[in-house]
Amino acid sequence: MTVSRAWTFWAFIALLVVLDFILHIAIGLGATAPDLLTVALLLAARRLSSAGAAALGLVFGLLRDALSLIAFGAEAVTMTLLGYLGARSKDYFLGEGMLFVAGYLFVGKWLHDIIYFLIAGPAVRGDTVTRLVIEAPIAAAYAAVAGTVAFLVYQLFTGER
Amino acid sequence: MDYFEGKRRGKRREAAVVLSLMLIALFLFFLPSGYQAPIRGALRSTALRPFFAVQREIVERRALSVDVAELRARHDSLAAVAAAQATLAEENRRLRALLGLRARATENFKSAEVMRLGVPGAESSFLLDVGSADGVEVGSPVLTPEGLLGVVWEVDEHVSQAIDWTHPEFRASAMTLDGQVYGLVEPRRGQFREEDLLVLTGAPFHSDIRPGTRIVTSGRGGIYPRGIPLGSVVGIEEADTGWRKSYLVRPAVRPEAAMHVLVGIRRDRGGEGDLSNLWPVGGAPDTADAAVGEGADGDQP
Repeated sequence: MTVSRAWTFWAFIALLVVLDFILHIAIGLGATAPDLLTVALLLAARRLSSAGAAALGLVFGLLRDALSLIAFGAEAVTMTLLGYLGARSKDYFLGEGMLFVAGYLFVGKWLHDIIYFLIAGPAVRGDTVTRLVIEAPIAAAYAAVAGTVAFLVYQLFTGER
Repeated sequence: MDYFEGKRRGKRREAAVVLSLMLIALFLFFLPSGYQAPIRGALRSTALRPFFAVQREIVERRALSVDVAELRARHDSLAAVAAAQATLAEENRRLRALLGLRARATENFKSAEVMRLGVPGAESSFLLDVGSADGVEVGSPVLTPEGLLGVVWEVDEHVSQAIDWTHPEFRASAMTLDGQVYGLVEPRRGQFREEDLLVLTGAPFHSDIRPGTRIVTSGRGGIYPRGIPLGSVVGIEEADTGWRKSYLVRPAVRPEAAMHVLVGIRRDRGGEGDLSNLWPVGGAPDTADAAVGEGADGDQP
């Protein structure tokens, strides 16, 4: 990746993060807005070392935990682990195709919700089956679609393939 | 050989960094809540500050868009009530002075706008656009015209974060409106937010609270002033053999509906404050609740 492309990619990641906080904090949309923070982490993790991705995950998780009165730290643990796993996925899966990105984001977001549910435990509302088998895949599909569209737009603008 | 050795060493270093980061995250997770609060506060007042500023702007604009005609109608109604009660207040003051009673304790309030947070872990909490600069402190009660919504949990200079009654750690010392039964009110979370109820626990076993009976804060514990409506009894939840009973209570306030609230900025310690005169709860039990509650009560063994 050239220097200019690296710059635009990290600007794109920053834009996703800002957009996530605008939708969830400034406008307060909740579950009606996709989880762009997890999408940003998963996309960034593919271009970082495992330590770098874990560090980014810790920062993202802490930012989200700043508003959590129920399970402070649960997002930090989840995102750190997810960043690490996202970076390690490079060793097993190669590709930047749209179908791959969509699948990667779907699995990553689902995994995020599973890990968060297991860590936060009783603080999270709802029973395990409903949360992990019904709500989590829907949220994952939503995030995957939003993330894939955003990545597609990014590629169209930068000409990156 | 050196190449492979260097690569192995690099991987080991990276694994050590990842492990350290995981330990930091776990350390933060298991940190006592008293130590977590400053970290939350620091993040809110630095990295997330611009987003709160935008939210405050949005909330203020939304508040300004309230229909002027509706506001004028409310103002006229209040002016009429105030004019009619002006003489009563004076009469009450003179009679209390004659009887040697001290002035009734009052609470100072600050009006505030509720700001919702759409992130996981913040479900039972909300932000208020008032903070320590306005006199708000940890433990200040948050009220709506219907009753108690929650309590302030963390305070920054211009913003505070409060929990509503659905939060697992919400507790309020409570009593029946007639003061016959005292207990502690805590939340019972349902599958969905709409199913959440309150429960009056620790009521004496011999007590018999009829469905529809109103439950208010008792003022014990010094957190909430006396007389703030909490809800109406729906039926018995549990009868702990020979010791005590728990009653399900339908809450007076739905958190999702609250937009404008009042925050108590001076608490009367030791339950001296009495706010029961602020709500029209002195009447008979809620008959609608009684009808529902009798059905529910009948289902109990």
